[in-house]
Amino acid sequence: MVTGAVRAETLKGHLDFLLLAIVADEPAHGYRIIDELKRRSAGTFELPEGTVYPALHRLEQSGLLTSSWATGSGRRRRVYQLTARGRRALAGARRDWRGFAKAVEAVVT
Amino acid sequence: MIERYLEELAEELGSVGIRGAQRRRILAEAEDHLRESVDPARFGDPALVAARFADELATSAAGRGAWGSVVALAPAGITYAILFSMPATWPDITAARSVPVAVAAAMTMLLAPQISFAAGLLAIAGAWRLRSQVAAPAPAVTLLRRRAGVALAAGATALLSVMVVIYEFAAWLPTWRVALSFSIAGASLVPIAADALALRRTGALRPQAAGDAGDVFDDLEPVFDRLPLRLRGRPWRFCLLFAAAVAGVALLGGGVLNEGPRNAVAEFVAVCAGFAALGRYLGLR
Repeated sequence: MVTGAVRAETLKGHLDFLLLAIVADEPAHGYRIIDELKRRSAGTFELPEGTVYPALHRLEQSGLLTSSWATGSGRRRRVYQLTARGRRALAGARRDWRGFAKAVEAVVT
Repeated sequence: MIERYLEELAEELGSVGIRGAQRRRILAEAEDHLRESVDPARFGDPALVAARFADELATSAAGRGAWGSVVALAPAGITYAILFSMPATWPDITAARSVPVAVAAAMTMLLAPQISFAAGLLAIAGAWRLRSQVAAPAPAVTLLRRRAGVALAAGATALLSVMVVIYEFAAWLPTWRVALSFSIAGASLVPIAADALALRRTGALRPQAAGDAGDVFDDLEPVFDRLPLRLRGRPWRFCLLFAAAVAGVALLGGGVLNEGPRNAVAEFVAVCAGFAALGRYLGLR
């Protein structure tokens, strides 16, 4: 039985991958990234919103994301985008995930 | 409501060591988010958010610090290789400007690089073990920083001791050699100092994640598990075996009939003494 707690723990393990995938489409600020995470997962991936920001900062420190201030809707917002290294990391994570998902699918169906 | 939340978050960030420009940036991002969502409750408890920042940033910084220390020490290793490979006729120790200073510097010149090398290897082993952890236990982060710090400090001490030895015997050495030694040893200190400053800057972070620091047996678990001898939980047995291996290398390197036996005994004693003095501090026992 997959409980909410288990789902939250599983999400933590894949959060970096998910964040990189969202930012890969277009540069985005924190709120937009979190909103996209919820929207694309139809509300399945819901974390305390503030805990996503440490991951964004860490990914930036690791050189996978870069960020800069931009002004939009009359506000200054920190916009994140993927670096070349982040793009390579995302491609590797996608390959791993597809292989893993295929294997799990083959076992459980 | 948003202002009150931001005040609480600012206080919590300060309590985990996040201050200055980094705190201002986090608060600006949080404010932007909250003006959009208008629900501080969904952002999470300020203490939880601050702790998460400290845990993730400290873990990432400690890992980078460990690898960075090894990179920063590489020029020092090259300096040693150059200086010790240059042919030279050294006068007797009594020819030094100050014999006690020369003896102390010469011993430091031999011991400090070994401590630096060992601490650097331990830092890498720890960083490798924690590589996939987003928020490592606070004691593990502290241990990793400590190993990197000791590696850098011992590396800097080694280079300074080289400079002291050269100074002590400068009157007996060619001028070009003195100048070259000072130049490359001094230049090798620059990356060490830069990395030490970076390590110090991130040292203000106070991660909160619970858990154990782990030790060398956790860092190198796959290696220790393959050994026929059980070493986990028996650190002194590990120390004696390691010291014996180092002594064996010293014996063969110095020549069995020449300086080998003396070097082997000195290395055996030095490893055991280092283990006794720094073993607990560096997570060896």
